[in-house]
Amino acid sequence: MAESVQDNVERGDGDNVKTENFFTLKKWNAVAMWSWDVECDTCAICRVQVMDACLRCQAESKKDFYGKQDCVVVWGECNHSFHYCCMSLWVKQNNRCPLCQQEWSIQRMGK
Amino acid sequence: MSLKPKRVDFSQTWDILQQTVKGVITLADVPRSTWNDRFTDVYSLCVAYPEPLADRLYDETKHFLDDHVSELLLGVSKQGDASLLQAYHSAWTEYSQGIDYLHQLYLYLNQQHIKKQKTTEAEIIYGASCAAAADYQEQMEIGELGLDIWKRKMITPLKESLVSLLLAGIHGDRLGKARHATTDVICGVIQSFVRVEEYKKKGQLDLYQQIFEEPFLEDSGNFYAREASELLQKSDVSYYMEQVSWRFSQEELRCQKFLHSSSAPKVRQCCQEKMVAAHLSWLHTEADVMIENERRRDLSFLYPLLRPLPSGLAPLIRKLTAHITQQGLRAIGTLQGDNVHTQFVESMLDVHTKYYELIKAVFKGDQAFISALDKACSAVVNHQPASRQPARAAELLAKYCDSLLKKSSRGTTEGDVEEKLARSITVFKYVDDKDVFQKFYARMLAKRLIHQQSQSMDAEEAMIDRLKQACGYEFTNKLHRMFTDMSVSADLNTKFSSNLREREGQGQKQLGIGFGVYVLQAGAWPLGLPPAPGPFHVPQQLEQSIQAFETFYHAQFSGRKLTWLHPLCQGELKLNYLKRPYLVTVQTYQMALLLLFEQCDTLPCKEAAMSLGVSQEQLEKHVVSLIDCKLLKKSPDGELGEETTLMLNLDYSNKRTKFRVTAALQREGPQDAETTHRSVDHDRKLYLQAAIVRIMKSRKLLRHNQLVQEVLGQSKITFAPSIGMIKKCIEALIDKQYIERTANSSDEYSYVA
Ligand SMILES: [Zn+2]
Ligand SMILES: [Zn+2]
Ligand SMILES: [Zn+2]
Repeated sequence: MAESVQDNVERGDGDNVKTENFFTLKKWNAVAMWSWDVECDTCAICRVQVMDACLRCQAESKKDFYGKQDCVVVWGECNHSFHYCCMSLWVKQNNRCPLCQQEWSIQRMGK
Repeated sequence: MSLKPKRVDFSQTWDILQQTVKGVITLADVPRSTWNDRFTDVYSLCVAYPEPLADRLYDETKHFLDDHVSELLLGVSKQGDASLLQAYHSAWTEYSQGIDYLHQLYLYLNQQHIKKQKTTEAEIIYGASCAAAADYQEQMEIGELGLDIWKRKMITPLKESLVSLLLAGIHGDRLGKARHATTDVICGVIQSFVRVEEYKKKGQLDLYQQIFEEPFLEDSGNFYAREASELLQKSDVSYYMEQVSWRFSQEELRCQKFLHSSSAPKVRQCCQEKMVAAHLSWLHTEADVMIENERRRDLSFLYPLLRPLPSGLAPLIRKLTAHITQQGLRAIGTLQGDNVHTQFVESMLDVHTKYYELIKAVFKGDQAFISALDKACSAVVNHQPASRQPARAAELLAKYCDSLLKKSSRGTTEGDVEEKLARSITVFKYVDDKDVFQKFYARMLAKRLIHQQSQSMDAEEAMIDRLKQACGYEFTNKLHRMFTDMSVSADLNTKFSSNLREREGQGQKQLGIGFGVYVLQAGAWPLGLPPAPGPFHVPQQLEQSIQAFETFYHAQFSGRKLTWLHPLCQGELKLNYLKRPYLVTVQTYQMALLLLFEQCDTLPCKEAAMSLGVSQEQLEKHVVSLIDCKLLKKSPDGELGEETTLMLNLDYSNKRTKFRVTAALQREGPQDAETTHRSVDHDRKLYLQAAIVRIMKSRKLLRHNQLVQEVLGQSKITFAPSIGMIKKCIEALIDKQYIERTANSSDEYSYVA
């Protein structure tokens, strides 16, 4: 399955362009890392990095959480972000952002 | 014959009956009709009118048997020592058979008269019977009576002579001097001691044990003690053990031949005591040398001798543990060269296989010895060459797997690789810090996947399955996520391509290069890249691809950001400025550096660093890699500096038209290993916290020590945390309000839902 990524690339056709250039860039096999677009990479509630599942999800070691990221991140209107699991438990007791005390309302969810 | 009670003249009837009794007890020929008549006589006497005569019949019969046995005794003892056993044996053979018949003749008396008046079990237990008549002699059935009389009138007076003759006979048998004919006699005489009390409800073997077994065991003990000390004087340990084993098996046969079966374990114990236990410390000293020199034959004689003794094997097990440990450390102690990892794992496997086979063959696969092997292997695998220096097994084993899973030109077949990987699990199980192994393994797997160096995806997944089987799902979770990213990336690339084609159709400019990307999930990939000092200036030729892909990606997902890992990206450049065209594969930084020469012929290092947005130090590394492969030249020669001028080597030539330039810093340095060990610490804390939350969630309320024990139990499969580390994690969770101390006790915690 790894091979298929690089075989399946969009073929450039630099050869057809008549050029005086020293170099022709034929192919680029890139590697990128994705992460949640957050200001602080640690969830202030469980203090686990938001890229990892939250502490409760890790404790339950859900069998189906690889492949799909179940434990996603949620951003408030205040732009603070937390694990969705952690925040949904938090708001049951206190409907304010734990970092800035503004009333909590969801701006967006990670996908 | 009439069954009706009638008057019977006792003397007259007994006179006749007595003749037949004599005939029966001496096995004379008694006609059937006579037998039947006397049988009736017994009945008539028992039911006689006006008064049953059973008691008189009993007394007379007893009297008769007393006399008969006394007479037999006279005949037997007349024989003298030479044939006493023989004479006793034939008298017994006749008498024991005769008394059986007599018992049948007296069937009515036995069943109707004696059984009824026999004290019941319950009465015996409660001691309620016959309190009035202490010397009242209880009547016995005739068969039992006969045996009892034999015991008192025959065995008691003869027992000393009989037993010493028996012992002499057995002694002769041990020396191989017994005449065959005596075997039956000896056996028969000994059996008679058992037979005469067989009818008893308990203590059936008392007589046998008292008069025969006890002196026999004492005599045997003396014999074997003497035998042992004689052997010790004239032979070495090998011969000694052989002889002892032979003696044991002979004595076992002898037991079966002569003795009651209950004596066998006692005889065995007696032999063990005199020939093994008495010389245990000597045998243990010898055992050390045997193990030291791996004398398999000697050890396989020694093992069954020592096994029955309570502490017989412990010193062997200790010695074997020490020996295997020593051999193991020697095997891995002098490893050198490029393939230390292969030498390490394969030497370790050789040691394991060798001693596993030895234990199977010599110690019958005894679990205690297998544990010794495990203990030794674990000590060797986790051996720290110097204090404070981590054991290298985790790293070496991961490297070994890496070398097998990587594409290689060496002619190893797939089956070969599979078998080696499967065997490597044996070593893996001994590694204490399995999480450290996992880190190294993940790093190497990452490289194999990103650089497409895997020999076979099937082999990769089979190996991860093996690790999962050994350590559980959590252990391989991140490895699985890496695989998932690979397939997700394949999908993304396909979608991106068709997306591009669509846009092309709408008149958008195409990328102009072949583009493919792996998108990796941060956190799942142990890439440990050094932080870039500033923003790298991506060559303008790549800019378009990056932008197009980012736009596409953000449309697919929300809340995500992409970071381009340039040290891992590779490009293919065609060189048009040489005598013939070359296709060269380079890392992005090298590519960017080369592309600068599109605009100029010469370039000082300082300017190049600025153009690329990298530090002078970083730039120099990439420059060196390109100078080493002769694509670049420098002026002046010597150390690189900010002022050194760089230029393309326009005379470059290579036999191959397609080649790869080694990237700077691609080799794994010691620094990498250190980072790996450090990140293990972070992961352990997280693992422990998750474990504590999991335990507390199910138990709700736990004392400190119980919690610590459960955490240790859960983590032991991957690593052994310190108590201090567990305490810190508990504090952290109290701090985060996952658990709290209960009000009534300071060392009890409760779960906060
Ligand atoms: Zn969280
Ligand atoms: Zn979660
Ligand atoms: Zn906030």
